[in-house]
Amino acid sequence: MKLIDIARVIRSKNAGPTTLTLDLLFNDEAGYQLALQSPALQPAAIAPLYGLRADQVELIPYPPAIAIKIAMDRTIVAGNPGDRDVYGAQQHTPLLELDL
Amino acid sequence: MIAIEKLRAEVTTANVLSPLRVLSASGQLGYGVPETAFNEGVKRKPHFIGCDMGSIDPGPYYLGSGQIATSDAQTRGDLTTVLRGARSIDVPLIIGTAGCAGASPHLDTVLAMVRDIAREEGLHFKLASIRADMPRDAVKRAIRSGKVRPLGAIPALTESDVDASTQLVGQMGIEAFQRALNAGADVVIAGRACDTAVYAAIPGMLGYPLGPAMHMAKIVECASLCTTPGGRDALLGTLDAQGNGSFIVDSMNPIRNASPMSVAAHSLYEQGDPYRVYEPEGTLHVDTARYEQLDVHRCCISGARWEPATQFTVKIEGAAKVGERALMLAGCADPRAIAAMKEILPAVEKTVRELTAKTVTEKFEVYHRVYGIDGVFNWPSPPATMPREVFVMVEIIAQTAAAAKSVATVFKQFLLHHGFPGRISTGGNLAFPFTPPEVVTGPAYRFSAYHVMEANDLPALFPVSVESL
Repeated sequence: MKLIDIARVIRSKNAGPTTLTLDLLFNDEAGYQLALQSPALQPAAIAPLYGLRADQVELIPYPPAIAIKIAMDRTIVAGNPGDRDVYGAQQHTPLLELDL
Repeated sequence: MIAIEKLRAEVTTANVLSPLRVLSASGQLGYGVPETAFNEGVKRKPHFIGCDMGSIDPGPYYLGSGQIATSDAQTRGDLTTVLRGARSIDVPLIIGTAGCAGASPHLDTVLAMVRDIAREEGLHFKLASIRADMPRDAVKRAIRSGKVRPLGAIPALTESDVDASTQLVGQMGIEAFQRALNAGADVVIAGRACDTAVYAAIPGMLGYPLGPAMHMAKIVECASLCTTPGGRDALLGTLDAQGNGSFIVDSMNPIRNASPMSVAAHSLYEQGDPYRVYEPEGTLHVDTARYEQLDVHRCCISGARWEPATQFTVKIEGAAKVGERALMLAGCADPRAIAAMKEILPAVEKTVRELTAKTVTEKFEVYHRVYGIDGVFNWPSPPATMPREVFVMVEIIAQTAAAAKSVATVFKQFLLHHGFPGRISTGGNLAFPFTPPEVVTGPAYRFSAYHVMEANDLPALFPVSVESL
């Protein structure tokens, strides 16, 4: 099962210039539970996709919207020289094809 | 009677508060206010109108340079719309984070526009402005006494970061807005401010419970973004003080429906922590919030809690100039050059540094991005198959624009003609859609501060001044 098959929104955005957040909004409770229990979404699995250590990534379940938030350190402060994505709005792509 | 006292009299009957209607005109004033929805909102007779102008999202340039992020013409148009609307029903208008970044140059630009509009439109009112520039000495003292800490992945703040910052602002909370309103303001234009403070200041001073008031502020500050489909239309929040307090969200565009799911999901947006919102005067906890569908269009929310802070804190934001930026822009369609591009660029940089050693004596930085391969995301490995075309952007940051442009120009020529193993297209490695392909883009900035500072005297940090127009 791929994440893209059970999520209706997979988005990224800064939460301030030092933090990147990924929001995963699911179609239904079953998909949410499946994703929540998948090792592929745990910080230890997500961190290497973003060049980070596991302790720089936090997974936060958010039942009111059957959603998962993943908050992580930005490797470069937003908009500083060398950055590639000031708003952080295009950093979701490694998750699209993620196998759960 | 000043505006806030008039409002107090209007919503209070025998010590009981009636529902307070709050119109959010825009989450980003200056990019266009959809007029149909805004006018519908004004017809609902809100007790006050709020708009946010600010964000740190667009990066350090706007803060550092003092330039507003929105166009002059659109900003003036939006300000005219909301000023006319608020004055037509004689209610307070609260605008947060003037000019995107909210330092004095941004605030002064917006205040000048407001004075012009008032004169042209024949509007008369008391205008309060609140500055958010942090006193450098106070910040340095706080650094020395260990009262400043980083927000996320940024080094500890140093006194030299403070000195290097061209602008250094703090995010004001409800206290500053309340002081402006108590000084008799009809219109408040604030420098850097918490988005929530724009909408929670008035409910707070009238005695509405701060948990639901802050939660409402957090939801309505993006206008109709919390609905399905999300949009920029004005949103009406109605805050009820009964029980533990609750609020209703109601988009002023009938096609944008608020549901428990759409409003709850909005709490995730651009927040590192969906359960807590940290403000200068306390913390909003939304983990206990309840979302209920009222009808197909509206949603009712209750249950959020406000925890007052034992120590006031202020988020501080600074930007420092790093140099002048020039770009070299080109495309490439040769498969061999594309396959070798990640090796070609550092090799050309080495050549360029040698060639310019005598002509460009200052230090400069070079950043290359190959769109099609790794321009957007820092992929750990190259793609399985190379793209048919790529776009190459070479960025030079030097101390002067002339030096940056000089390096970009030399880089262009040597990238065009660089020889690499297996090259068969010896006419040139690049396609330029036009010339010159070198562009000078102006000063480049970095965030020098994104920290939180303990503060005891908030009024000293956010001074209010009032004028009569």
